[in-house]
Amino acid sequence: MTLHHTDLSAVTRPVAEARGLPNAYYTSEEMFEAEKSRVFFRNWAALGFAKDCPEPGDARPISFLGQPLVMVRGKDGVLRVFQNICRHRGMILVQEACKIQRAIRCPYHSWCYELSGELRTTPHVGGPGTNRHDDIKREELGLIEVRSHEWLGVVFVNIDGEAAPFEEVHAEALSRWAEFDHPLHHGGPDSSFKLDVATNWKLAVENYCESYHLPWIHPGLNSYSRLEDHYHIEAPGKFSGQGTTVYRPMLSEDGRRFPEFPDLGDKWDEGAEYIALYPNVLLGVHKDHTFAQILEPVALDRTVEHVEIYFTAPQVTGDDWAEMRQKNAAMWKEVFLEDIFVVEGMQRGRHASGFDGGKFSPVMDSPTHCFHHWVATQMGA
Amino acid sequence: MPGDLDRALIAAHEAGDSERLTVLYAEAADEAETAGNVDAACFYLTHAYVFALESGAPQAADLHRRLKAYGREE
Repeated sequence: MTLHHTDLSAVTRPVAEARGLPNAYYTSEEMFEAEKSRVFFRNWAALGFAKDCPEPGDARPISFLGQPLVMVRGKDGVLRVFQNICRHRGMILVQEACKIQRAIRCPYHSWCYELSGELRTTPHVGGPGTNRHDDIKREELGLIEVRSHEWLGVVFVNIDGEAAPFEEVHAEALSRWAEFDHPLHHGGPDSSFKLDVATNWKLAVENYCESYHLPWIHPGLNSYSRLEDHYHIEAPGKFSGQGTTVYRPMLSEDGRRFPEFPDLGDKWDEGAEYIALYPNVLLGVHKDHTFAQILEPVALDRTVEHVEIYFTAPQVTGDDWAEMRQKNAAMWKEVFLEDIFVVEGMQRGRHASGFDGGKFSPVMDSPTHCFHHWVATQMGA
Repeated sequence: MPGDLDRALIAAHEAGDSERLTVLYAEAADEAETAGNVDAACFYLTHAYVFALESGAPQAADLHRRLKAYGREE
């Protein structure tokens, strides 16, 4: 099956009549390659976490779907993303996470760039000891910046530069969760984990979107948050997920609770929401913490899930709250670990020649179908 | 370049010590300049400047000024 011969009309029908994406979308290298440009590079994809470059001069290289990128926090405090290459010979500039004192020096011929991307000097470019030449126009040879935007601690990039501004594309999500627009405080190493999963990235999204599986896969969660306490969230073309009306904050041994975000509406007293912001980040908000899970598609059938948990106040990052933070992270890790066998099982299942993409529950699967519809649209249905 | 300076430069390169490289290359540049060898001076000034930029050393501004005065830098 090739991209041009894939009929996606069954995917874009209403959920009651639709089928899921064909097997090839999970098993074909050609599809995986096509997704890079059509799904990831032309939309706002999640690249990394702003907390990984907290101070001016912090630089972190990230390989994203084969693209060598680097996140750099400038002296002005602005986080920028660049193609991690010198404009001279295309050499990789930043090899590992580091602190840049003043300029990024290419390790090959020592062209130097400011943290803002400007080309500062080009040693010997006009001959030994002559660092200028009329044909070397520094103003045209700065680092290639990739459009980026930060939200809920996540750094998003639009690699092809053609997408509408993030605030425009995701206005609905920004509005929906506007009450969480406060400074976030990452919980530190004990609020950070990653899982290496043998599945296509889309299956992780699809599983996250729906609450249908909760009583079967997460019986512990279901003991207090039952299936009927959940509702669907669907913003066609943008995001989908689920909400709960019975969120119960964690209590410490001595009865303490994490502090809450200020000025939240009543909805959040016992409410929490979980959305997959297309394509590749799974977000969760609660009155006392948020999390983000970036899905890094490292291969057709392998996804690294990067999970980071954030709190409402700086004091929660201290030793006094360490036990609670660890308990909270352990709870989420258990949930995400419970999901692994199904997303890996569905990946193996996509090799069954008779599978037709699957029949959705018209009632329970619409957030997942919403995602399938979006992927199909991006891929040219 | 005297042998001691040459050896010190090689050691600083091996250590990746940009601040030290700034100082040593500036020293080499001064010697070449004193000897009237402008090309050699600018070669060493260039290296001193690059490592000053990398390390954030305050000498960067003065090194840049000297190179510019010789018409070797923008």
